[in-house]
Amino acid sequence: MNPTYFLFLLYIIVCTLIITYWAAKRTKTTPRFYVAAGKLTGYQNGMAIAGDFISAASFLGIIGMVALRGYDGFLYSIGFLVSYIVVLFLIAEPIHRLGKYSLGDVVCARFPDRNMRLMMALGTVIISIFYMIPQLVASGFLLRLLLNLDYSFSVLIVGILMTIYVVTGGMIATSWVQIVKTVLLMSGTFLLTLIVFSHFNWNVEYLIEKVKEGTPFGKDFFLPGHLFANPVEFLSLQLSLVLGTAGLPHILIRLFTVRNTFQVRRSLISSTWIIGSFYSMTLLLGFGTVALLGHEQLNALDPTGNIAAPLLAYTVGGDFLLAFIAAIAFTTIIAVVAGLVIAATTAFSHDIVHHIWKKGRSTEKEQLRAARLSALAIGMISTLFALSLETINVTFLVSITFIVAASSIFPVLLLTIYWKRFTKIGAFTGFATGLLSSLLLVIFGPHVMNPIDGWIREEPLFSLYNPGIISIPLGFCGAIAGSLLSRKRSANEFERFFARAQLGVDAGRDGKWKV
Amino acid sequence: MERNIELYLRKRKRMQIILLSISLLFYFLLPLSLIFIPDVMNQPSFFYKMPRTWLYAILQIPMTWVFVGIYHIMVTRLERLMRKEELQ
Repeated sequence: MNPTYFLFLLYIIVCTLIITYWAAKRTKTTPRFYVAAGKLTGYQNGMAIAGDFISAASFLGIIGMVALRGYDGFLYSIGFLVSYIVVLFLIAEPIHRLGKYSLGDVVCARFPDRNMRLMMALGTVIISIFYMIPQLVASGFLLRLLLNLDYSFSVLIVGILMTIYVVTGGMIATSWVQIVKTVLLMSGTFLLTLIVFSHFNWNVEYLIEKVKEGTPFGKDFFLPGHLFANPVEFLSLQLSLVLGTAGLPHILIRLFTVRNTFQVRRSLISSTWIIGSFYSMTLLLGFGTVALLGHEQLNALDPTGNIAAPLLAYTVGGDFLLAFIAAIAFTTIIAVVAGLVIAATTAFSHDIVHHIWKKGRSTEKEQLRAARLSALAIGMISTLFALSLETINVTFLVSITFIVAASSIFPVLLLTIYWKRFTKIGAFTGFATGLLSSLLLVIFGPHVMNPIDGWIREEPLFSLYNPGIISIPLGFCGAIAGSLLSRKRSANEFERFFARAQLGVDAGRDGKWKV
Repeated sequence: MERNIELYLRKRKRMQIILLSISLLFYFLLPLSLIFIPDVMNQPSFFYKMPRTWLYAILQIPMTWVFVGIYHIMVTRLERLMRKEELQ
């Protein structure tokens, strides 16, 4: 075991545990546990959102994808970033105004119903666990690579850490772990970019020439089509990415952690600056990888490209820089999984236990105990899943998460906020159609059905890797059809709801509108 | 519903529709241009002779920053106006 790698990882673990200890002393009430009592500033929340959003797939995956696939790899970054426009313009402020802790609160502000709450809670738990498994699996491989630890032991370390953060420190610990991660990630990526760029005498033209030499595609490396031969696949991917974030519960619940809509907007604007700057740097790092290491070497070491960043760090800065970058990758993973655990925990303990099981009658103390127990259970379940999935390629679960979120949660949220004719039945049919169609199209698609290395060794029944172009419209069609076929609600009721969601105004008993 | 509330809602809706349509049009023109005019998009651009499609993709980053900034400024102005009117 290399002592540099070990010391860096130990440093990260100790720092995050100190943060958790500090946060645990402040997490004595349910608002503090679920949403940090709305006390974060816009800039802090923006950093936490970036920390929650930039996953291992982004940090490790995008650099490798750009290095191996060029333009097609970069398109992922663009979709991830532009999705924040949809979040900010359409749903961020209404979500903050209508909800308290969870997405179930938001939908129930218009349709107060136990089944509706159950549906949103199940959606949140499913999406969070789908997203958590590949992160945990990646952490297992990362620790095995660096410290030569056993896969199961590595997953257990990360699983235990994320559970400790959430069980003891709730949203306060999670937010500060994510803020620290963002600072480390941005400074580490910036440092690596400077070092890599200096190898090309700070000359973009020279870097581009070297990229052409390093790849077997030559100057064609810069043309699209090295990942997706079918242009419809491009369009489908872009659609899923741009709408997916607006359905990701772990990102959306962060909008409750600030005190007003001004801070909500400030959070999202600062996160887009961080995420945009980060992806600009990954583009240069991807080019640097292929120019310095060469396509053949990278492909021979890891055809998925996931260890491109650590390899690049080792090439330009030796063991020390590799240890630093690996520690950042580790922090990236633990910050994202902690965010996912808190999202699933809120949905389970607040929506299912407090509102559905206890019918909203549990005391503050009982709610807090239920939240901590839920976090423990969710942490354990996800870790067990990750332990049993070592030998199976689960990276496609990341893209599935975006497709499922964009096809099921997003249509329900959007139509709840904006469509007067939308009904409870429409919400159920839309959610069910979106969820089932996205899952079935993935199961019958080339990710799962593949004669060479699929879970099912057969020809795929559906040819697209990203079925969002079909499943997202199906989710909306299901919601619209269900609403049109069910009984209409009063228009006045919607007007009041809409004014509350959009402007934060409500009619008092005297009939006067108040902000 | 009071007339000024309706007015604010209308203003907000108009702003959302305009900004969202322009930004999403700019975004989706990228994959659509690759489907319908790949030859044009693959021509070298003035930016280090990289294909135009690269330049267009990179431009999406500042585009996002500009649009979220404009939205924030406009909504903040609208909220200030509402609060002022309420105080009066």
